[in-house]
Amino acid sequence: MKIKLISRLLQVPSTDPEDARRRKLLNIVLAGITSLTLVMSISIVGYSVVNPNWDASKFYLGILGVLAGFTLVFLVNRYISGWLASFIFLVILVTLFSVIDEPRQVVEGRTVFFFTIPILLAGVIIRPWASFVAASICSVIITFIAITQLEDYAYGAPPIPTIGGFFLFALVAWLSARSLENALLDLRILNIGLEDRVRERTFELQQANEQLTLAYEKLQELDRLKSRFLSVVSHELRTPLSAIQGFTEMLQAEVYGPLSQKQRGALQRVLANDERLLTLVNDLLDQARMEAGQLSLTLGPFTLKDLVDDMESTMRVLVESKKLYLKVHISPTVPATLEGDRKRLYQILINLINNALKFTQRGGISVHFYRLDEEYWAIDVADTGPGIAQEIQTSIFEPFRQADSSATREHTGFGLGLSIVQQLTTLMGGSVSVISEVGFGSTFTVKIPIVPPKNNANRQRSGGNA
Amino acid sequence: MNEKFALIIEDEEDLATIYSEALKAGGFQTEIIYDGAIAQQRLTEVCPDVVVLDLNLPHVDGNQLLNQIRADPRLEKTRVLVTTADAGMAEMLDQEADLILLKPTSFIQLRTMAERMGMSEE
Repeated sequence: MKIKLISRLLQVPSTDPEDARRRKLLNIVLAGITSLTLVMSISIVGYSVVNPNWDASKFYLGILGVLAGFTLVFLVNRYISGWLASFIFLVILVTLFSVIDEPRQVVEGRTVFFFTIPILLAGVIIRPWASFVAASICSVIITFIAITQLEDYAYGAPPIPTIGGFFLFALVAWLSARSLENALLDLRILNIGLEDRVRERTFELQQANEQLTLAYEKLQELDRLKSRFLSVVSHELRTPLSAIQGFTEMLQAEVYGPLSQKQRGALQRVLANDERLLTLVNDLLDQARMEAGQLSLTLGPFTLKDLVDDMESTMRVLVESKKLYLKVHISPTVPATLEGDRKRLYQILINLINNALKFTQRGGISVHFYRLDEEYWAIDVADTGPGIAQEIQTSIFEPFRQADSSATREHTGFGLGLSIVQQLTTLMGGSVSVISEVGFGSTFTVKIPIVPPKNNANRQRSGGNA
Repeated sequence: MNEKFALIIEDEEDLATIYSEALKAGGFQTEIIYDGAIAQQRLTEVCPDVVVLDLNLPHVDGNQLLNQIRADPRLEKTRVLVTTADAGMAEMLDQEADLILLKPTSFIQLRTMAERMGMSEE
């Protein structure tokens, strides 16, 4: 707090850094000498108390004068730029030193060295060359004092050794002040360059930032549009598909009259294809919702056996039509009743089996349910397909990706199945991984916590098991 | 009149037909309304046992109709089956609707449900 106040007193309002530096320096010197004066006055007060006979009034007057002078210097320094204050200050100092002692002491005795102070200071608080000016003035003053006040100086020669000393000091002051100023100048030039460079880079950075923000906003907008587009399209596609399914089911249920065996078969195929299309559209919608972070789970109890039965009845026809086998094994270590989102688990299972089915031409698919450890249960879906090369085993979980991009024409689908599996298992607090070797088939493993985590999930209302 | 009455509010004609047929097969007498505003009026006149309600309707949306039914003490016993393609919406309405049918709504599924409802209330 006090230090702050002092440093504020020492500051000078100036935009010229050179001027500000010199004036601040003057303030510091002023502060120093003022303190010295105050200490001196205290000792004078002390001395006059000890020796009551001694007349101290002359000193008091002098000290008051000096303090008044310094105050003037301080004010001038604060409000007027340039070296006027410094000049007044030096004049006060020189005047003070000229009268402070007996003339002999001033010219060639104990006080002569006082004059080196204004000579040295002039270099730093005015200009380097001012040291020489100060040395000259001091020389003139002591010469004048010598000639006018010392009887034995009658021959009129100036005190050469003292004057020589002054100029020697002036030279030293000039040299040091000059090198200081040059160094500061160099530093300032360097600084200006640096500031320019920083400004330039900051500007460039700002521009880049703005562009990035713009690009980001654009991307976000695009992403929103995409999600919106997907969801609208999916909805529009689902409605007619829904109608196709409904009418086909009605025909099958013989609402519109009895059917022949062949008609039944044809309707079965209509339904199967409708189902396939519906799955694709659902995948798209799920993808869109997951990307928008809108998908949440509905938890509830379910029996694994039911899930597997449903899965088998859905997949059996497809598996058999490709002349493959589908083996399912439920290990007794898995709890019979599990807690989770049955619909989404079913989706995971169907997606994995569909994926296996798509790429397997010979052999078949084995599905294994088992308890992994204390916390997790797992599903292995193993196929005897072509296998997946090591380097693309991670990218197959990205949306719209298929292991062999040229295979898109051969294999149907958007390549969303595995991506959805991954996102759903993550949402469930589990994970999916693949072990595969080219030529030896693939095994996808999904691990799911036995106790589902609380976030991302809505609890199903009891009895609302539709 | 012993037959149960179901009001189907759905702007897609084909879907409405399917719902109607399924409910008929489940022993209901049905009436189809394609427009939200008309449904709003009709709901003040009749007292259906079941309302099959689509959420996306012209003029007055399904949500508003659902609130209207819930606010009307005359329709206290009316069961509301909300059909929607939007699973997020379905979760939101979980508390208000008696049953949420996520589109595509299967004929077989709805028929089974209608049969069960017909029996349970007798």
